[in-house]
Amino acid sequence: MVEIPILALNSVSKQYDDVLAVNALSFQILEGQCFGLLGPNGAGKTTTLEMIEGMTPPSSGAIHYRGGPVPSDYQDRIGIQFQATALQDFLTPFDNLKLFSAFYDHPLPMQTLVDAFQLKDFLHRDTRRLSGGQRQRLLLALALVHDPEIVFLDEPTTGLDPRSRRDVWDVVQRLKAEGRTLVLTTHYMEEAEVLCDDLIILSHGAILRHGSPTALLAEAGVETLDALFLSLTGERLDAPEAAV
Amino acid sequence: MTIRRSVTRVWAVFKARNLEYLRDRASFGWNLVFPILIVLALAVVFSGPPTGIFSITYLGAHDARPALLDFPGVDTVDATETTRALDRLARQQTDMVIAVAEGEVRYWINGYSAAGALTEQLLKFSESRPLISGRTEGDGIRYIDWVIPGILGMNMMYSALWGVGYVVVRYRQAGYLKRLKATPLTKFEFLSAQVMSRLMVTLSASTIVFVGTNVVLDYKMVGSIWLLVLIALIGALSMITMGLAIASRTESKEFADGLLNALTFPMLLLSEVWFSLEGSPDWVQWIAATLPLTHMLDAARAVMLDDAGLLEIAPNLAVLLGFCVVGMGLSTRLFKW
Repeated sequence: MVEIPILALNSVSKQYDDVLAVNALSFQILEGQCFGLLGPNGAGKTTTLEMIEGMTPPSSGAIHYRGGPVPSDYQDRIGIQFQATALQDFLTPFDNLKLFSAFYDHPLPMQTLVDAFQLKDFLHRDTRRLSGGQRQRLLLALALVHDPEIVFLDEPTTGLDPRSRRDVWDVVQRLKAEGRTLVLTTHYMEEAEVLCDDLIILSHGAILRHGSPTALLAEAGVETLDALFLSLTGERLDAPEAAV
Repeated sequence: MTIRRSVTRVWAVFKARNLEYLRDRASFGWNLVFPILIVLALAVVFSGPPTGIFSITYLGAHDARPALLDFPGVDTVDATETTRALDRLARQQTDMVIAVAEGEVRYWINGYSAAGALTEQLLKFSESRPLISGRTEGDGIRYIDWVIPGILGMNMMYSALWGVGYVVVRYRQAGYLKRLKATPLTKFEFLSAQVMSRLMVTLSASTIVFVGTNVVLDYKMVGSIWLLVLIALIGALSMITMGLAIASRTESKEFADGLLNALTFPMLLLSEVWFSLEGSPDWVQWIAATLPLTHMLDAARAVMLDDAGLLEIAPNLAVLLGFCVVGMGLSTRLFKW
């Protein structure tokens, strides 16, 4: 029996005026998978992610949820951590958790979130005074506040120091272990190799390669995804502003 | 079920916005302190003895002006409406009203005003044409009595327009609205919470300033306090919804600044916050009549100074309600997360 993917993209494109940001992408994401969208800045990762999240409508093509159209209560089923999210000034993590919990019918208990994301030490601190790692943990907690089926993480470790990055990886690994479906974008190759079960490598809005990290490396006969990307495009994957 | 969920979400956003405002001590304090400082400064400047210059309101052709108007120490205000001129006389905002038509010189003075009696003597002494006299009565109002509604209204205008317009644009620019879009919160729920929060803040701050300055200055308030509350409620609402409409799509704080200034500056100038527009050209008064603050101040002064009832201020309230409906409609329709 063929497993129905939790999400499927069928020839999805996004056009902004005269710029084709995403060009006819087709791929599937299976339930419980950690799916990665890799590519340098400007490759179309965030645009693709926003279309799957329902934040931006595709210019053409279709997105399916469990084999059918995206349901009207889709926002209740997904959790999103954006690349750059501001929160209200002067509010604490406690205030934010209360606020976001109120948006949903069945939020997780506050204590569960505080424990899971280790928020206790800074629960009543102004969010403007949190470190990068603390802030990311709070944003992850907010994305998970309603116990969603699918969690979208847009470059969750960008700008973090190595220790904070490891902390976020631990959280993501735990979410994977719970069987949750994760979709993440990153331009850190090591991150993708550690976390992703399946991934696509994007360049200029199109898929260069699709497969598991192990399979892609074996197929190309290289040691790292960065080397693979370099061999495909002549660009380094983690080079800033490598593509428009 | 849906309504209950909706109310829960609006309440949560309302509380969060209030927390943000109350913890921002600098903004909160300034909203209270600034109008009090203005009122106190004006009280100091204008509560001294009269300057000794007579003020005469004149209705008539330029070449028929009585000689009295050219006397040194006499200020002349040209007017076109006898009723409004006599209202000013009743409040002792002018010492005499003179109307010349078809060779007839009619004049009115306020029976309670000593300055009125003096100008009457001066007019009789200087005028050779036949005179027809009239009288009104009414206690004088100080400038501070007249300007208090203007200052309260101005403060409400700034609080309403900037407190909502600027904040929503700041949220958008920072990406916070995009984060909210990814939740089940609807545009209408978000906008309603912003309106409610700002309304509460604006009315609370205005009440504190109103009561506080009244204790210090004992300004004139002869009408119904409930009517005044109604005017403040609808007036603030009209400006909050206008602020939301401006912020509905604007992405840059600088552009929002420009738009808000373009809206507040004409009101500051033409809505009779600081001075009366009586005697100004018709087109100026026509523009003033299109501004919500003008209607709010007209109604507030009518209640505070002349004990006007609901029927008398109904046209002003209707215009303000119109602004509310248009502002909220535009905001909901145009709003982009």
